[in-house]
Amino acid sequence: MSFAAGTWSPGTGGDQAARTARLMVYGLLATILMVLDYRGGYVSEIRGRTAVLVEPLLLAVEAPFALGRRLGEELRSRHELQDRIALVEQQLRDQEAALMMLDEFESENAELRRLLEASRRVEVAFRAAELMSIDLNPYSHRVLINRGRRDGLEEGQPVIDADGVIGQVDQLARHSAHVILISDPDHALPVRVRRTDLRTVAYGTGQINSLRLTDLPMNVDLEPGDVLITSGLGGLFPPGLPVAEVRTVTRHSGEAFARAEARPLGRLDRARHVLVVAINAAADDEEEVESEEREAGDESRDAEQEPVAEEVDATS
Amino acid sequence: MTRPTTVSKGMLVSLLAAVALTLMPLPDEISPARPYWVALVLIYWNLEAGRLRHLGQAFVLGVLLDLLTGTLLGQHALSLIVISYLTERFRNRLRFFPPWQQAAAVMALLFNDRIVQLWVIGLTDDAWPTWTWWLAPLVGLLLWPWVFLLLDRLRQFERLQKS
Repeated sequence: MSFAAGTWSPGTGGDQAARTARLMVYGLLATILMVLDYRGGYVSEIRGRTAVLVEPLLLAVEAPFALGRRLGEELRSRHELQDRIALVEQQLRDQEAALMMLDEFESENAELRRLLEASRRVEVAFRAAELMSIDLNPYSHRVLINRGRRDGLEEGQPVIDADGVIGQVDQLARHSAHVILISDPDHALPVRVRRTDLRTVAYGTGQINSLRLTDLPMNVDLEPGDVLITSGLGGLFPPGLPVAEVRTVTRHSGEAFARAEARPLGRLDRARHVLVVAINAAADDEEEVESEEREAGDESRDAEQEPVAEEVDATS
Repeated sequence: MTRPTTVSKGMLVSLLAAVALTLMPLPDEISPARPYWVALVLIYWNLEAGRLRHLGQAFVLGVLLDLLTGTLLGQHALSLIVISYLTERFRNRLRFFPPWQQAAAVMALLFNDRIVQLWVIGLTDDAWPTWTWWLAPLVGLLLWPWVFLLLDRLRQFERLQKS
């Protein structure tokens, strides 16, 4: 046990060949795993199972950094804290004033809806969560939050910050959850243009600061600066949450559809405190709308070939 | 002549430390240049102690890393088995290189790994990595001597305890 393995003889030809063969086998295995993971997430089961194993490790790495952050907050000077409290109180007053107006609107809205015999609005509850300090692979478009199954989170719930939609809960562990960002190439989100009520789907591009709208008719009424909000179709996201702002609209003369690029309003890369939105199922009657955002996302690749069919499927 | 294939305590500690360093939060600007800690530790144990040399071990480690970092399942597994294979292949030459030359060889391994990973990233139509991403092998080069010395110390310590 105690000698250095310096005298180990160089591998014979047979040994080398066996090793190369093993490399091939393992390489193939890794490739199969990647393909399965990439194509429609057949391995999400595996990820779910191993969460039990993986989560304690993540929490263990997280703990010292969370402690450090808390200590940093404790040590912040009293002066600075007082300034911040004053600022926050000021903001609170402003927003309370705005809310008073909103209360008025809400009762008016309820009355109008009753008169029109329209369905009731979706009721939502917000649960605050904080991003964990751990760095995941920056290309995975996923973040970790410090709330999990124990706090009543469910898969597919939307996650927002103060400015807009960030993503949705993807994988649940007991004390933590993965959130898939709307910028993930696999993610598709049914949206509506606030100005024109045009309904479409916003796809992730793999870039943190951009979303993609494809399959738009050539004569679409869309301008840079238009705000996209969730349409509520698909049933996972409540309607009306701000998502993104259109940046460019391109109409190539050779193509059948116009494309647009949008910048997410939520701060996907910088948000620290987020809210998980729970839709109160008792209050809505959107159960007929079964198509899920994630499924739309899985099919987003096929959408390249048949954009019309895809859009109908995702938004019907 | 057989070499020990079991995982010793020192190895486990070094691997856990490498995983923790991989998950450690870094500012956004430099986080792409984060060195490939697990690969450095893996190369050390293979090169100097002839342990952790089985491709299966590299594969399992890679899958674990994928699960931890939320990467496409299999990406790190692929990259680590390639590293493990190449290290083993050139082990007899690398072992007797002078330190700086060995560090350069390690950088070559890590650079090759960047290309393997870029291939996967390219196939999954993710965003193209920023230029800082290519600095990681260089950081690995600078860190290699220290990782080497530290793990050598750890191994000696373990050996003394055993005898």
